[in-house]
Amino acid sequence: MAVEAEANGMAIPASRWGLRYRLLLPLTLTLGAVLLYPLLFSFWVSLHRYQLTRLQDVRFAGLRNYLKLFEDPAFWNAILNTLTFVFGAVTLELVLGFALALLLHRLPRFRHLARAMLLTPMFVTPIAVGLMFRFLLNQQLGVLPWLLEGLGIRIDWFGPGMALFSIILIDVWQWTPFMLLLLLAGLESLPKAPFEAARIDGASAWMTFTRVTLPLMKPVLLVAIVIRGLDAFKVFEYIYAITRGGPGGSTETILFYIYKVGFRFFRMGEAAAMAYVLVAVTLALVTLLYLLMTREGRRRS
Amino acid sequence: MTVPLLRRRLYLALQTGVVGLALLTVLFPFFWIFLTSLKPPDLVARPDVWTFLPSAANWREVFLESDVPRYIANSLLVGVVTVAIALLVGFPAAYSFSRYGTGGGLARFAVLAAEMVPPAVLIVPLFLVMYRLALTNTLVAVIAAHLTFVVPVVTWFLIGFVDEVPRELEEQAMVDGYTRGQAILRVVLPAVRPGIAAAGIFGFVLSWNDMFYALILTGGASKTLPVAIAGYWTFRGIEMGKMAVAILLAVVPVLVASFFVQKHLVKGLGGGAVKM
Repeated sequence: MAVEAEANGMAIPASRWGLRYRLLLPLTLTLGAVLLYPLLFSFWVSLHRYQLTRLQDVRFAGLRNYLKLFEDPAFWNAILNTLTFVFGAVTLELVLGFALALLLHRLPRFRHLARAMLLTPMFVTPIAVGLMFRFLLNQQLGVLPWLLEGLGIRIDWFGPGMALFSIILIDVWQWTPFMLLLLLAGLESLPKAPFEAARIDGASAWMTFTRVTLPLMKPVLLVAIVIRGLDAFKVFEYIYAITRGGPGGSTETILFYIYKVGFRFFRMGEAAAMAYVLVAVTLALVTLLYLLMTREGRRRS
Repeated sequence: MTVPLLRRRLYLALQTGVVGLALLTVLFPFFWIFLTSLKPPDLVARPDVWTFLPSAANWREVFLESDVPRYIANSLLVGVVTVAIALLVGFPAAYSFSRYGTGGGLARFAVLAAEMVPPAVLIVPLFLVMYRLALTNTLVAVIAAHLTFVVPVVTWFLIGFVDEVPRELEEQAMVDGYTRGQAILRVVLPAVRPGIAAAGIFGFVLSWNDMFYALILTGGASKTLPVAIAGYWTFRGIEMGKMAVAILLAVVPVLVASFFVQKHLVKGLGGGAVKM
């Protein structure tokens, strides 16, 4: 009936079938305009010689922008820096976050207060975090070098060989709380029975951790790693606030390099091509996340 | 003392020590920035000075003699408008995903995946479109950019919260003569109000914290607070005190907000995953 009415172009009452799509329409239109259209446009730009300074002379370039990337040592340098950063930061955050979650989980007093305070860094504007640590770690003005000096330690935090590691530490300061949040929630939702059984069997704390806690936490750990990894690829603010890619390109990450090529040199075509390489990486990780999450969903139901 | 008791005490000491150290690491930077903001301008570059007569000079200058209040207003406006749009388009969609299962698990996941699209791939076309429309250096451009991640996040949160509302509530209301539309507005909407608040605050924090899009899309009077803060570092010691004030102005509102959302954050982040 409703289908017939629709085919005749008549106004139909809000049927169950129609409402679900009408409710979805605003979201679809919005995301279509601000996400899908830019994604397609960006791909088109990546296939052209597209310079902001020469907009009257945009020419089809095929895959030339992509091929150029492979011969660009600065691009590979940025990729390598980003991978080092992501691997280093996520590993440290995972270990620290998990350790803190385990300790906090069994903290007899002030657990909620400690948790609330430990979570604060993840809410702070990353550019403010970057500037804060640039100030705190500065050779002449910084309080940390001054304190370390008292102990006879001198470190040039943003010097060659050290800068990328310092950026990693800043990321660890800001995002370990995110790991803590997810992993603590994971621990709190674990079933009690396996731990009881381990206790009755007289298992040591270490045995309980490796044989009970770790396997039960595996799905949560994997999801946390992938989400944090995806986010770590977007690192930009600390670099912009502190090193601007230096010294000698040692902290130039992929997003910062794209920013430089696209918005300092105005070579939009090349920037878009690089961004699409990033999309491919993201897509792979997102697919992994989907598989992890749907497997978890099936396991629970 | 028995061995288990000794071990338990040792564990407690270790636990307290490590958590204490973590708290110190987290809180010290905030403390130092606050201290710096109160230093008289000639002492800001002195890490060895910990006690001094507090001065309001930095605060006064930032509030009365700089454009920072305007940038705060810009950030507020962008955040509020972005979140309002996100809630308006996100809530009906969340209802559709939750109650009709529209598109199944894959559609739910697409909402989450949308948030993960790299900003690098969106900024080039967003900039070009705004440039053509002569909208660069306006707040409209930043709002459009922030919608790209605030809308998916808010929708994802809301799916989870609508899932939690028992269907019986609206079914009963419909038996009582409400249409579905009325049931959504008068029954479901009030029931998810805490979820809407949590999603809205979290979306606002994300918008407030963004610098990447705002850096490229704004300039001059249209700068948002993070972009303005980025301009503070000049290597001249005197500026450092004002930078500390600006940092605190960006940080304190989100920290206050974070205490309100923390309780709902885990559930919110879990979002529509439960029924995927």
